Amino acid sequence: MLKTESIDIEQATTHIQAQPDNKTRRYDRQLRLWAASGQAALESARLLVISASATSTSILKNLVLPGIGHFTILDPKKVTPADAGNNFFLNGHSSIGKFRAEEAVSLLRELNDSVDGIADLRNLDDILAKEDGREWIQSFSLVIAHNLDQDILDTLSQLLWENPTSPSLIVHNGALPKTYAEKQAFKANIRNLSQKLDEENFEEAEAQAFRLWSESPVPSDISATLNLPRLDQSSSTSSTAFHALLQTLRAFINSPESSGCLPLTSTLPDMKTDTESYVKLQIMYKEQAKGDNALFKTILKKEFPDLSIDEAMVDAFVKNAHHIKVLRGRRWGTWDKDPASLGPANITEEALRTEVQSLVGQGVELPEQLDDAIGEIARAPTADLPNSAAFLGGMVAQEAIKMITKQYVPVNGYCVIDLVETWTGIVGQP
Amino acid sequence: MNGSSSSSGDWHDRYYHVDQILDRPGPRTDPSFLAGDEVKDFLRNKCKILVIGAGGLGCEILANLALSGFKDIHVIDMDTIDISNLNRQFLFRQKDVGQPKAIVAAEFIMNRVPGVKVTPYYGKIQDKDDDYYLQFNLVICGLDSVEARRWINATLVNLVDPENPESLKPLIDGGTEGFKGQARVILPTVSSCYECSLDMLNKPTAFPICTIANTPRLPEHCIEWASVLEWPKVHGDKKLDTDDPEHIGWLYSMALARAKEFKIEGVTWSLTQGVVKNIIPAIASTNAIIAASCCNEAFKIATSSAAYLNNYFMLIGTDAVYSYTFEHERRAECPVCGGESLDITISKEWTVDRLIEMLVEKQDIQIKKPSLASGAKHIYFQAPPQLEEATRPNLEKKVSDLIPDGGEITVTASSLPFSLSLRINYS
Ligand SMILES: [Zn+2]
Repeated sequence: MLKTESIDIEQATTHIQAQPDNKTRRYDRQLRLWAASGQAALESARLLVISASATSTSILKNLVLPGIGHFTILDPKKVTPADAGNNFFLNGHSSIGKFRAEEAVSLLRELNDSVDGIADLRNLDDILAKEDGREWIQSFSLVIAHNLDQDILDTLSQLLWENPTSPSLIVHNGALPKTYAEKQAFKANIRNLSQKLDEENFEEAEAQAFRLWSESPVPSDISATLNLPRLDQSSSTSSTAFHALLQTLRAFINSPESSGCLPLTSTLPDMKTDTESYVKLQIMYKEQAKGDNALFKTILKKEFPDLSIDEAMVDAFVKNAHHIKVLRGRRWGTWDKDPASLGPANITEEALRTEVQSLVGQGVELPEQLDDAIGEIARAPTADLPNSAAFLGGMVAQEAIKMITKQYVPVNGYCVIDLVETWTGIVGQP
Repeated sequence: MNGSSSSSGDWHDRYYHVDQILDRPGPRTDPSFLAGDEVKDFLRNKCKILVIGAGGLGCEILANLALSGFKDIHVIDMDTIDISNLNRQFLFRQKDVGQPKAIVAAEFIMNRVPGVKVTPYYGKIQDKDDDYYLQFNLVICGLDSVEARRWINATLVNLVDPENPESLKPLIDGGTEGFKGQARVILPTVSSCYECSLDMLNKPTAFPICTIANTPRLPEHCIEWASVLEWPKVHGDKKLDTDDPEHIGWLYSMALARAKEFKIEGVTWSLTQGVVKNIIPAIASTNAIIAASCCNEAFKIATSSAAYLNNYFMLIGTDAVYSYTFEHERRAECPVCGGESLDITISKEWTVDRLIEMLVEKQDIQIKKPSLASGAKHIYFQAPPQLEEATRPNLEKKVSDLIPDGGEITVTASSLPFSLSLRINYS
């Protein structure tokens, strides 16, 4: 995955040479973040969202507005009075008794004429049971699931993990405050309570977010990436290509014809100087970038003569060589294959505590903060609160956009949120 | 007030989700929480909340408040709907372009969420007086203007009467930029206010005039040249309207020609517009996160159902998800809530003009057009014109000839409803 953060405004807008058309004007505020390339990726993405809950429609709203190509909501349920009260994409009382997916799709489609959306009233169990159903699920570019039962979630995540054409985002929420009712996240959290907040990380991220280029010949995080082993046969074709590019980059740096640095990008940072020398430097810079690009392609061809790879992908890779980042996802539930599940029937503080204790092992002392979390989950075990749904809707949509556009850096691990004291944290980072 | 469920349009289980929180306390709930009917009655029949801004954050805030059970919502916004709002301001449609945001948003919410009353005001926050602001229990701000935020912050701090606890109106403020944003809770006179944290704002990028005029290197330099230097030269007093496509088109072609002359690449229509209008990237998802966070705090404060944010939440979504929650401290010399004078040390040789220049640039002050007085004595006044003319000669005078060492200067500006006291020391 390419880490093309901090797309500068010039790059983001170079496709516009005259007064922009209506579509460009509509999307102006987001094109400044992900440019035409990101927009094209969004417009060709096909999204499957499982359930039309308040959280699911909040997520979808934030993806329909920026112009995702297509979405399907899979949900056989009818609108309950409780749904009608907490979901903005239902027509209040008058939606009660109608199909949730159909009601939500029509109100979501109103947000953006160029987005195609359909309601699918089938049952996920039935779909997963049939070969053509499994193929259908894999035809989507991204799958988002909200609060699925453990068994079916396991089946779904296994399917998507073994056939990695579509990445998935899984969302679970518990009570108002703690969205980590899911037991694996629970377990990780107990191990990681001390990592709740890390000021240093935050500052580093802030610095990273604004870093436009790197001064050392090859930054250490990129050298580490270059030394990753090749992936095995079962990997998807796009990651095979990506790893070929990584190997080529390593060969490039070691090549006697290069200066031992990463390929130059063609954007020269601003510096205090007069116009003539700046422009001269800029031209030299561009020439060098062009030469580096050509050398890179020569090496690629020599090292991987049989690989067919899109020229644009190579260009994007070389251009962003300073910002490469490899993210390896993991299958949902890898941490814990303990089949004991947490049914809504036994949600009492004591049952939760026993469950946690059995996950982390008897004899492990449970931290005090755990009682806060357990207390809130027991207080509101099935609440999908409007504000929590909206918060998650924004977070998940941000991640979806980052994954689809392949710009910025998606989260890797479990993101947990406490909306009582209002903080977020990441646990289980590989 | 009968407050019965039939008059408010409620149906059985309408608040099934929210009531799980309101029916019993949690481990971090304050003992003052009145679980059950009492808190529901307050939230749904008595609580009055003001939303300032019906834009990117405002649309989200209105929807969240309505679903959470707030039923008496007021909204102020002075803007009309533009096509570039439609990628995130989800209460508006193409047909609404040109209509006032506050009015369209209020109608939409009342249609979608029955029983909720939204009262719009299409105009400026400065049009309203203290009595207006006193009627609310809470204020939520989703604004993109620093000046408007400073105004409402100072107004709410000034409203506080120590004898009357009802006069303290919690202010919840949200802001976003691209994938980043922040939400905060301000208890006027109790916790750090907006003015206390003014130095946390990013400094706007300003290009030196000599670079723009003589040594442009970036496309932005060419655009600044066209708008700052060429526009007034060619058009005289005619004001540049950054919303007029013809004006932008003119700047664009001028900037492009200059860029060609200096062999600079990258001047585009969109960049031109971005630079002259200081456009900040904005997306629905970030607004959703920050607005939800603001409304969640409003809900917790209004109901006392759970502890609330103390007092600043910052989120960065560009590189994974990083957030930082911390307590911003009050500043004793905050001109709005601090009460102490701000000590500044300057050279004995400084003129009044130089002092004004410093005040404009200083990050924790940021007053665009300051007027200066010492007691009843005018030092320099920006307005009215007669007073400006009468005090103009003082600009060239040394501050030390007008103010003794340790003496105080009062700084005011028409845009801000407060004054700043400076204690002047000479180095
Ligand atoms: Zn203050």
